[in-house]
Amino acid sequence: MYVYDPPYNKMRSAEVLDCHVLVIGSGGAGVRAAIEASGYGETILVSKTLTGKGGCTTMAEGGYNAVLREQDSCEIHFEDTMKGGAYLNDPDLVRILVDEAPMRIGDLLHWGAVFDVTDCCEVAQRPFGGQRFPRTCYAGDRTGHEMMATLVERLAGAEVKVMNEVTALDLLKDGDRVIGAVGLDEKSELMAIRADSTVLATGGGTRIYDISTNSSSGTGDGFAIGYRAGAELIDMEMVQFHPTGAVYPYDARGRLITEAVRGEGGILRNSLGERFMSRYDPERMELSTRDVVSRAIATEILEGRCTAHGGVFLDVTHLPRQQIEEKLPVMLEQFLKFGVDIREEPMEVAPTAHHMMGGLRITPNCETTVIGLFACGEVAGGVHGANRLGGNALADTQVFGKRAGETAGKAKKKSGRIDQKALDAQETRLSAFFEGEVQPSTVARSLRTAMWEGAGIFRTAKELEKTLGVITHLSSLRVKAFGQSNLAECCILQNMLTTASLVVKGALIRKESRGAHVRKDVTQTWDPQTSPYGHSYQSLTRTGIETVVRA
Amino acid sequence: MKKMNVRVQRFDPGQDEKPHFQTYLVEVNEGARVLHVLHAIHDEVDPTLSYRWCCGSGQCGSCAVRVNGEPVLACMEEARDAMTIEPLKLPVKKDLVVDLEPALDALSHLEPTDSAAMPTRDEVELIKPLRSCIGCLACVSVCPAMDVTSFAGPTAMRQDLRLALDPRDTKDRVSDAVSKGLFTCTSCQACWKVCPKDIQIPGKAIEKLRSLAHKKGLTLPRHQEVAKLVRETGRSVSRTEPTFMEQVGEVIEPYGPVKATVGFFVGCMYNQRLPQTALDAIEVLRRNGIRVIIPKEQVCCGSPLIRTGQWDFIDTLKRRNIDAFAFRNIDTVLTMCAGCGSTLKHDYRTPFRVIDINELLTRYGIEPPARLPLRATYHDPCHLLRGQGIRDQPRELITQVVDLVEMPSVCCGSGGGVRSGVPEEAAALAEKRREEIEKTGADIVISSCPFCEFHIMEHTDRPVKNVTTLLLEGYREKDRKKAKKAV
Repeated sequence: MYVYDPPYNKMRSAEVLDCHVLVIGSGGAGVRAAIEASGYGETILVSKTLTGKGGCTTMAEGGYNAVLREQDSCEIHFEDTMKGGAYLNDPDLVRILVDEAPMRIGDLLHWGAVFDVTDCCEVAQRPFGGQRFPRTCYAGDRTGHEMMATLVERLAGAEVKVMNEVTALDLLKDGDRVIGAVGLDEKSELMAIRADSTVLATGGGTRIYDISTNSSSGTGDGFAIGYRAGAELIDMEMVQFHPTGAVYPYDARGRLITEAVRGEGGILRNSLGERFMSRYDPERMELSTRDVVSRAIATEILEGRCTAHGGVFLDVTHLPRQQIEEKLPVMLEQFLKFGVDIREEPMEVAPTAHHMMGGLRITPNCETTVIGLFACGEVAGGVHGANRLGGNALADTQVFGKRAGETAGKAKKKSGRIDQKALDAQETRLSAFFEGEVQPSTVARSLRTAMWEGAGIFRTAKELEKTLGVITHLSSLRVKAFGQSNLAECCILQNMLTTASLVVKGALIRKESRGAHVRKDVTQTWDPQTSPYGHSYQSLTRTGIETVVRA
Repeated sequence: MKKMNVRVQRFDPGQDEKPHFQTYLVEVNEGARVLHVLHAIHDEVDPTLSYRWCCGSGQCGSCAVRVNGEPVLACMEEARDAMTIEPLKLPVKKDLVVDLEPALDALSHLEPTDSAAMPTRDEVELIKPLRSCIGCLACVSVCPAMDVTSFAGPTAMRQDLRLALDPRDTKDRVSDAVSKGLFTCTSCQACWKVCPKDIQIPGKAIEKLRSLAHKKGLTLPRHQEVAKLVRETGRSVSRTEPTFMEQVGEVIEPYGPVKATVGFFVGCMYNQRLPQTALDAIEVLRRNGIRVIIPKEQVCCGSPLIRTGQWDFIDTLKRRNIDAFAFRNIDTVLTMCAGCGSTLKHDYRTPFRVIDINELLTRYGIEPPARLPLRATYHDPCHLLRGQGIRDQPRELITQVVDLVEMPSVCCGSGGGVRSGVPEEAAALAEKRREEIEKTGADIVISSCPFCEFHIMEHTDRPVKNVTTLLLEGYREKDRKKAKKAV
């Protein structure tokens, strides 16, 4: 059993660092932002994990969407993205995404990224769901890993101070302006960083769900930290459930099975052997958008046509072995480890919480609604609307990571002062954890179960209200740190609770079904293009949903 | 759900003087991984346990630990009851969390030009296998050369070759690699065997870099001498006494009925330097029904040249050796040198089967020898254990003669051209072997590789013997007893 540490009550004087740009987050967006910002002044990157290892970019398998061929066009990529996003996307952001994605992959290639290429030395592309042109660039099925490897190498050559295993707790403010952040260093000591500009690139947060593809860092910290600092968040109800997550082993449930499996020709079948997508989207079949495929699989499972482990079959056994070995090596290796040879037998899959389309409201230059605070990558909202296309997230990290780094870097030098009271308040917050009663992991487990059951693929007001009640109750519990090293965990749990409540509240506000958000209790007369609603929004000062006046 | 009892190493440098083990009983689901056991400990039993993890799907390299001594990714390795979980052999920060940053920070990064051409498809295919590294540093944690030299380590070499192959990079990575210790790798293959991504660093990165170094004239002088000797004499070492092949005929019949016929690939060391050991082996084969054919035109297998990147003469050697056996229609070639065996199995495309003497003797079964009142320890030759996957067979033979005390399987320092090229490193590694041998309290050391035997002999006061010599001593004892009885 554990040993109780005596309560930690001595006031520490936090170490204070100073820089021009502070980047919080070390995935694709954060590292890209830091690289860019370093051209303008002293830059610090803080990572909750080890840079290059944490975050979800390194786990991203399928690819990066970019218009690279004459037969393709940015206009079509724009249309695909808007349509895939159920027209909730911010058109300006989408325009930037599709226009700049090719240049940003160019940066990666210049820095040494090793993407698969065609015989003509062009970057190879594969088809992905919801797109009318095969525009997903890839490095086998370890595309994100290839990008992170490249970015980390580039980062090593840039003038960036990297601080690993530092957990950001909150943003620091001077009046209305964000002037840096306070965090726990790798020894769980309080530290503060003053910065002229602060970039949030903390990624998503679907670890608030029982079944999730996210890495350990996908706990929604940036949403909660931004919210507490007064930033406005939009469309937080828009949670993408990836159609194909692993169902076995149970303890590894939710592990991502890349869309590239279907891109390469993988077929979905239920336990009766039916290729059921013909009932849901006969035209696009397995390569329909993720929201549609997830609902189709969830319906098959709910109606009992599921496998022994509660999933459906995803089959590539009809493909040439060489194609599987070359294009899906990570999938092959993972499944072999779990006792399944995907060249010989089908995989079993079920939907898994994957991506947060919502997030901090940003301008095209990645400014949030709070001065001095910028956001990019999954923590920002508006780019993907109500449903993200596979392959657009990796592009997003690079396009908006660069923009955030540039805007933050160009911001003027400021002489903000860190308020000792803010640090004292953090001390008090942390000290209280030693007096807590409930283990964070126990609370987290209850939260994940409640979110999966009450705010999952199919939603009703009644279930959402009930879930909100659970979150409120869980938030009232006093979580306990059993030692110094548990402090970050306690703070992260609070972030998860905040993120979950933002998702549920957003889901209650949006009384329509759109993209990934399905309200079974609402009947609507409109389709996405004629919806009367725009972004839902939530901040410390206002909550609501935009209405669209249509001619 | 199933219950598991596991032992975990705990260490908090702020509080503990040294690491200790703690045992936990946890419940996990069927198919659970080591990581899920750690989660269960942290969530249900002891929240103070520290361990690192991120992706949970084998892609980030955060969670490597040792399970029952072997480095694995906690998220991919199936959990087993009664397992022991320890940190990698790297500086421990707390419990299972080790310091990965120094080695990761030391990796080279691409330095591009503005005008560089994109790699071609062929270049991409060459680079890709080197690119799947997830930086778990399992390789670094097991590298013996890094223990005794300033070698930058296996994954640093992998990265240097990856950059050397990329037309977009502007630096001289080959010279860099040489200065970072390219020639200190002993080819022990420990790094490859623990790599969760199965990156064959010794064969695919280090030997390739050495071949590029060779083209730049950076091969060590001593290695060049070996190559010269091979070119001139067909042998990688000079002779010090009548060779094995001068002492035997081309066909050696067994004493009893023939169980099998094999061609014998002798190897330079047993032929030129340790002929008596090869003669002992022949005697053991004769007693066990193995008919041996020894084509006298066989030459060096080329291993000393392949390992040191001197590839220009290899094809000739291969052809001569393959022809020597193929012309006699030999379908099975026996090796007793671990290095030759591994080379013939992996670097050759032979029209015949290659079998190590330990495999052969255990496959056909041996006449039981008498026991000797000795305690032995066994040194696993790298090219037998990791090169050929032969672990149990020599032990099965040894334990028929003597009691065996195990020691950790670590390289003795004689491989990869290190004994000739970097003798002080070879000596330092052998010294570590001596310490391990000492710890076992064994009277004799057994091995099954002429390089290991020769090298360890110089560094221990215990007798070092080949497995077959030990068997022969067992037979001689048996004969003595029988003769005594007859009197």
